[in-house]
Amino acid sequence: MSGHDSKYFSTTKKGEIPELKEELNSQYKDKRKDAVKKVIAAMTVGKDVSSLFTDVVNCMQTENLELKKLVYLYLINYAKSQPDLAILAVNTFVKDSQDPNPLIRALAVRTMGCIRVDKITEYLCDPLQRCLKDDDPYVRKTAAICVAKLYDINAELVEDRGFLDALKDLISDNNPMVVANAVASLAEIQEHSSRPIFEITSHTLSKLLTALNECTEWGQVFILDALSKYKAVDAREAENIVERVTPRLQHANCAVVLSAVKMILLQMELITSTDVVRNLCKKMAPPLVTLLSAEPEIQYVALRNINLIVQKRPTILAHEIKVFFCKYNDPIYVKMEKLEIMIKLASDRNIDQVLLEFKEYATEVDVDFVRKAVRAIGRCAIKLERAAERCISVLLELIKIKVNYVVQEAIIVIKDIFRRYPNTYESIIATLCESLDTLDEPEAKASMIWIIGEYAERIDNADELLESFLETFPEEPPQVQLQLLTATVKLFLKKPTEGPQQMIQVVLNNATVETDNPDLRDRAYIYWRLLSTDPEAAKDVVLAEKPVISDDSNQLDPSLLDELLANIATLSSVYHKPPDAFVTRVKTIQKTEEEEYHDGEGGYSESHAHAAATGASPPQTTSNAQSSAGRSQATPAPVPDLLDLMGMDNSSAIVSADPTTPAGPSLPVVLPAATGQGLQINAQLIRRDGQVFYSMLLENNSQVPLDGFMIQFNKNTFGLAAGGPLQVPPIQPGTSASTLLPMVLFQNVSPGPPSSLLQVAVKNNQQPVWYFNDKIPLSVLFSEDGRMERSSFLETWKSLPDSNEISKDFPTFVMTSVEATLDQLAASNMFFIAKRKHSNQDVLYLSAKIPRGIPFLIELTAAVGVPGLKCAIKTTGLEMAPLFFEAMESLLKS
Amino acid sequence: MGIVFTRLFSSLFGNKEARILVLGLDNAGKTTILYRLQMGEVVSTIPTIGFNVETVQYNNIKFQVWDLGGQTSIRPYWRCYFPNTQAIIYVVDSSDTDRLVIAKEEFHAILEEEELKGAVVLLFANKQDLPGALDDAAITEALELHKIKNRQWSIFKTSAIKGEGLFEGLDWLSNTLKSGGG
Repeated sequence: MSGHDSKYFSTTKKGEIPELKEELNSQYKDKRKDAVKKVIAAMTVGKDVSSLFTDVVNCMQTENLELKKLVYLYLINYAKSQPDLAILAVNTFVKDSQDPNPLIRALAVRTMGCIRVDKITEYLCDPLQRCLKDDDPYVRKTAAICVAKLYDINAELVEDRGFLDALKDLISDNNPMVVANAVASLAEIQEHSSRPIFEITSHTLSKLLTALNECTEWGQVFILDALSKYKAVDAREAENIVERVTPRLQHANCAVVLSAVKMILLQMELITSTDVVRNLCKKMAPPLVTLLSAEPEIQYVALRNINLIVQKRPTILAHEIKVFFCKYNDPIYVKMEKLEIMIKLASDRNIDQVLLEFKEYATEVDVDFVRKAVRAIGRCAIKLERAAERCISVLLELIKIKVNYVVQEAIIVIKDIFRRYPNTYESIIATLCESLDTLDEPEAKASMIWIIGEYAERIDNADELLESFLETFPEEPPQVQLQLLTATVKLFLKKPTEGPQQMIQVVLNNATVETDNPDLRDRAYIYWRLLSTDPEAAKDVVLAEKPVISDDSNQLDPSLLDELLANIATLSSVYHKPPDAFVTRVKTIQKTEEEEYHDGEGGYSESHAHAAATGASPPQTTSNAQSSAGRSQATPAPVPDLLDLMGMDNSSAIVSADPTTPAGPSLPVVLPAATGQGLQINAQLIRRDGQVFYSMLLENNSQVPLDGFMIQFNKNTFGLAAGGPLQVPPIQPGTSASTLLPMVLFQNVSPGPPSSLLQVAVKNNQQPVWYFNDKIPLSVLFSEDGRMERSSFLETWKSLPDSNEISKDFPTFVMTSVEATLDQLAASNMFFIAKRKHSNQDVLYLSAKIPRGIPFLIELTAAVGVPGLKCAIKTTGLEMAPLFFEAMESLLKS
Repeated sequence: MGIVFTRLFSSLFGNKEARILVLGLDNAGKTTILYRLQMGEVVSTIPTIGFNVETVQYNNIKFQVWDLGGQTSIRPYWRCYFPNTQAIIYVVDSSDTDRLVIAKEEFHAILEEEELKGAVVLLFANKQDLPGALDDAAITEALELHKIKNRQWSIFKTSAIKGEGLFEGLDWLSNTLKSGGG
């Protein structure tokens, strides 16, 4: 017995992985196939079978298509976790991409694209190149998509190997699916690239329009999306395009319909004939209505998109309001969106019907929906003057139901109605006062108190009503406290009797001494001083006539609306946010490298000029002058920043010492090392690829490593703010790091006259917060779309009154040649329009545009070789003129 | 029971599948040899990044031949293929005299591998068609083959392009494997 006990130690069970390993290496094909299936099954349920990598890959060379597919599936999953071993699969890919069976060739090239291992991408280029030229369209279309995937991994490789040109060739392919995929691939690449890669010309346009009719539904979506980026030359071309796209509106696939709608909307901008536009609007309505018969999720997407469309062109669905009436079984999110659109479509013609609906909704059970319905009635009242009375009577009916939240919501909107139509409907105040006691929500309370204060002279017992609120003053939310304060002051000014006088004492005391809320305290002190110094002045201030309001809630800013409309049928149009607000781009560093590359080569005239213009600053330091002198002669328009000359001497040293800085690295010092306890910051706003970046170089001259860098921008005229976190690695002593921080506009706009001041705060984990000032050169805001057509320039110039013209002389500027000056300005997105001779002087006309659509029409008068240049501008944004000249001066100076 | 019997028979009387690795430095001619053996013709090849595997039927033995890439970057992964290997075909570019030292080192490293202790070794002194190619004796000398202990081995002069010497080598291999080497 004892002699056999050893068997307990040598167990025959080896565990799953070794067992699978053995089976994978079996000499029997069936067993191997079963084993691979087991591996895939384990993989799908989440077991880690990556240790079997080589064994599975060894099964890759097989005649059996099923087995091959399974191994490929495994590879896609695990190549990332075994990047070194992935190389073993390369040869098989190469072989499979030459297989006589097109399915296998396509399978190989598709899988290759999915294996995101940098080490092996290089080996996959040859097979890809072959497949792009394959005889079989199925292989070609698969290869086309693979290029975009490869571009994501290694953009440089794709460009070097000429894959982009191969893709462009595929646009002329005779197979529509190949064309569609090539377009999809190019569009995707373009999104990630800094340079113009994919531009539709009139030649490709006709190819695409032809392919559109023949390819699959998703292919149609790709092509339509690409076409929507095409800017037609004139109205006629736009009409032609639209005409050929219109049949897509009938498509059963919602994505095709929405993409077609987007494309038509964008081209409609160019179409001048009102007949055509009206016709198109008519044609777009039925497909949009049809979208609403799909399942709720699709309805929601459609509704969000329709919301945008309705804001841009209300006429399309003006007669279709009935389809937006809520059904009892609609999900709440659909109902809410429908309400929003109903408000937008409500007109004098249909308001009775709409009100009937709203009234119905206001008696439903879902509280949020009911509230929104009540609010919708109010918004309609504000929007449609003639219907206001009917709206109010509905509101009053609803108040009479005495459902608490309905009453509260009604009071909130009635306050707005009073603001919109002062002295018209005050007769209903009495009814409102009846429900005073039931109010428990801050907004409703605040609204009611505002009404009492505003109409104190007509409410006999206004003081009593207010007094009832005053008892709980300290416990009220700030919103209510503020209203109580103001209302009491109004009451006092209107009825300066004893009661109110006592009340005001109590309130002012409560709102100054007893409170921690600075807003409340500030307002109370202002009232107090006004009342104690000049009660008449107080009257003028507090009881001043208020401007009439309009309903702009849920109304998007026109420029944002246009951006969203260009993104219809994407997530962006569902979120109602521009894509860059929720898609973070991680490409900024790579872009720098690209720029550097072109800069070094000097052959790409366009991007070269671009890089120099945006990246370089003027040769302000002596040691730096040499290197930049060559460039600034050849290429124009660096944007100087004259701030903080103290630290200048340092900057050149850093620049030469640090090879990793981006092209044109002579950034001005904004925080000298002496001020920053050894931390020196060089920075400047630049523009690249239509986006503003804060190009920064941080140098650590202190004795300790610095990390945890963060940045914050103060409110400024253009609302420039960081578009993401500052990505700076820990900086060791004596080293530096450079970064490009993407900036966004109109985040925290500071009111008041425009100023180029940009206040910046930078902190790290080791030092106190550093504050410094920088300048916003207006030229970084000039957008790429600022080019005006001659005719529209002329029209705009004429249409603007002379009072909108302002000019400035630059007496020291000497124009060496017209071309040089124009090039210099073009690099900063100031576009040349026309030139004329006036005696010996050249008169140049240019246009530029800053975001939110403020155009500048520029007239430059100068003679070649003679000092002096006169710059006259006409613009609607006259207050920007000083900033414009400031930018102009630095552009000319460089 | 019947099935077991057939299997038993087939393993006794040929038709057994032998796992063979074709190793050697890059550009030694491994892939060309593999396809010469399998299809009997010369195919144009590119450097093998990874592996090729083909079945070659010869002398009643089914050889499962694994041709592994010879690039420096791939050599470390040879060991993934060592288990259950009955024979190694080591291919040497006889005209590449500069790299014979490396070829020798790689070869002896393979012989040291525990998993290949029982494997038979067949050497091909390839590229005999090229002028200046060393003959088998010189290769034997250069690779210090006399140091091989406890292992059956043989060397053949081959030219994969002309198809010379390959099948002689395979003859030796099949005979050795049949006589119990594998």
